Amino acid sequence: MRSAGVIAGAVFLVVGAISGLAESAFAQGSSQQYGTANIQAGYRLYASQCALCHGGNGDGVAGINLARQQFRRVSTDADIRRTVTGGIAAAGMPPFQFRPAELDAIIAYIRSGFDLEGASFALGDGARGKAIFDGKGGCTVCHRVHGNGSRNAPDLSDIGALRKPSAIQRSILQPAAAMQPINRPVRVVTHDGRVIQGRRLNEDTETVQLITRDGMLVSLSKNDIQDFELGKTSGMPSFAGKLSTAEVADLLAYLLSLKG
Amino acid sequence: MRTASSTAIALFTAFVVATPAAAQVTAERILHASGEPQNWLTYNGGYDSKRFSSLSQITPANIRDLELKWIVQDQVFGAWESNPLVVDGVMYLTERPNDVMAVDARTGRLFWIYHYTPAGDSHVCCGANNRGVAMLGDTLYMGTLDAHLVAIDAKTGHSIWNTEVADHKAGYSVTMAPLVIKDKVIVGTGGGEFGIRGFVAAYDSKTGKQVWRFNTIPGPGEPGHETWHGDDWKTGGASAWVTGSYDPQLNLLYWGVGNPGPDWNPDQRPGDNLYSDSVVALDPDTGKLKWHFQFTPNDPYDYDSVQIPVLADIDWQGKPVKAVLWANRNGYFYVLDRTNGKFLLGAPFVKVNWSKGLDQKGHPIMTPQPAGMPTWPGVQGGTNWYPPSYSPRTGLFYFSVWENYGSIFRREESQYVAGRTFPGGGQSVFAPVPSSPTIGVGRKGPVNNWTSDVGSGATIAIDPHTGKRVWTFPQYDVTDAGMLTTASDLLFTGGREGYFYALDAKTGKELWKTNLGGSIVMAPVTYQVGGKQYVSVISGHTLVTFGLRN
Repeated sequence: MRSAGVIAGAVFLVVGAISGLAESAFAQGSSQQYGTANIQAGYRLYASQCALCHGGNGDGVAGINLARQQFRRVSTDADIRRTVTGGIAAAGMPPFQFRPAELDAIIAYIRSGFDLEGASFALGDGARGKAIFDGKGGCTVCHRVHGNGSRNAPDLSDIGALRKPSAIQRSILQPAAAMQPINRPVRVVTHDGRVIQGRRLNEDTETVQLITRDGMLVSLSKNDIQDFELGKTSGMPSFAGKLSTAEVADLLAYLLSLKG
Repeated sequence: MRTASSTAIALFTAFVVATPAAAQVTAERILHASGEPQNWLTYNGGYDSKRFSSLSQITPANIRDLELKWIVQDQVFGAWESNPLVVDGVMYLTERPNDVMAVDARTGRLFWIYHYTPAGDSHVCCGANNRGVAMLGDTLYMGTLDAHLVAIDAKTGHSIWNTEVADHKAGYSVTMAPLVIKDKVIVGTGGGEFGIRGFVAAYDSKTGKQVWRFNTIPGPGEPGHETWHGDDWKTGGASAWVTGSYDPQLNLLYWGVGNPGPDWNPDQRPGDNLYSDSVVALDPDTGKLKWHFQFTPNDPYDYDSVQIPVLADIDWQGKPVKAVLWANRNGYFYVLDRTNGKFLLGAPFVKVNWSKGLDQKGHPIMTPQPAGMPTWPGVQGGTNWYPPSYSPRTGLFYFSVWENYGSIFRREESQYVAGRTFPGGGQSVFAPVPSSPTIGVGRKGPVNNWTSDVGSGATIAIDPHTGKRVWTFPQYDVTDAGMLTTASDLLFTGGREGYFYALDAKTGKELWKTNLGGSIVMAPVTYQVGGKQYVSVISGHTLVTFGLRN
């Protein structure tokens, strides 16, 4: 009895989350929403139904890495839904009988990059996202993609392979809180009076490596450094309120498509 | 004529020097290992595991004349945690998964290499590591990833016997270097993440037959069994994956025991879970338990007590005491009386919040953190298996620590399936920015993008009388390096960044360093051949040997 009650409760939560999301998705046009509760529900289903073959990290089947969005046969959410429901007889994947809400949850878990702790996010249209990146967003003033743009901020050419959707979304909306510690701006004064400013690339006990604002790669011995100041805040402005929710979803879709 | 005769003399001298090399490594020689500092006869350089050498040719005054003498390249990828032995001019060294090399300790050229292929379905939690061999007579002994013990002819590199220590299919492995005592070879098993029931066992050095076995989890009817409920003891872990120490006067063998299983869910194994996270003192002739001391009861943090027991005779409040010094993964430094296991001192050496202190008997006062909140030290501990050192000259205890490093632990019910991991939840390293890189079991790459915000390392010196730090040599990344001290008060160590350091053992001042470019995840050793002192250390995939410029 107790078990049945728990399951019913879980299903209710999933359905509740889905219906809530469906409304906001409608409001944003073509964006596809993936909510935290849905991602977590997807994890539970994935762990019990999918992980046996696909593995806990999503890389259990050769040539496929679900967490990294590397597929052999699918690309859209509808493709995934069809594959899970129909199975792939030739590859030994059986058809699964999930309810629509359960399918949505599994897809959300996959799209999140298996990110159990991440926030909800929405994915829009990558082509529109690129236009925002290159145009209205002004991203190339600091960032660089495939050789275009500035080197002041991290090169994003493979960001979609490195970071999970919720983390990239956080960088867009709350850049100061999301800045990776290694990327902090550095201001160095050497014993011989030189002032060097740049972005930290690497650091160890004896040395620090950085790229200066004019694109020079500099490696300094800490013995030669008089003052070493690490900036606490990101130079990146928040795009919360500057881009619409739909535009953020488009931008996120574009950034996630960048895989080197 | 003069030239010819000096050549003849040189040859003759070489012959004379080479003759003792034929001498066997008797049990008597190992007992007095500190009396032949030109050799490194056991994993820790001697039964007391001080990793202190009385060699003193290399000094603070000439340390800048150290130069590269030779290199051996590892042929296999992965962290290289092997500790070489050096016996009469020959170095015996293992590489992944279970190869052994005999190397000329003067030139780095190989005499032979022995390959052992462990079963393909061997299970190890943390890499195909092997930490080295033991030697007795003309025979080398190595534990294998598939939980066998093999005896190898030290002259030919071919096997003599091969004994199964445990069933690798059930998650057992042997990664530690065995310890030879008298006529026995002693090993412990890994597998604490696979629901094993750990043990330490002794084997006849001639035949490979098991002589005794001490189960690190007591069975029904044995004292300590009451610290387990139901059948939990059958899958309770308590591995023993690091080499122990031995006191010949007391005839006691000391061994550290690993975490209970499942690792992170203590609710699934209520009780103190003896002898997990303990040191046990055993009779090496029979395997009988003489005393035990548990550092972390009912451990939810994976605080294996697999540190090396360092045996030191020190003055304690005006009286001499036979002590065992122990910097534990749980963040506390302990001094115990090794005759009876009595607790003498315990003090935290890094930030600790899982416990607010130790009581009079050394038991921790537990302060579990709320779900989702970080626990310090983190899952890899304030220190770990990295060999420490104690210098009787300085009276200081040296080891690697991880500072400001915490983990968030998660409990889940795990079902035991033979040969599968039995985690009981999980953990993530506490990071200042969500989803930013964190520190792992090994260094993940040449760029430190996790930064010191997630944790940093240090080499520290502790005064055993107070448990307080005397000095700290900070490192930016964390360090898994072991320690070596010498009679010229040098301390050799390294870290994940690949720097190899010589520090002043008295003050911690950096006297010399070189960048070897690969993580140093083991301790350096020192030895002497042909009247010259050498220091060897493994960095990344190379074993590098230094000596003074000629």
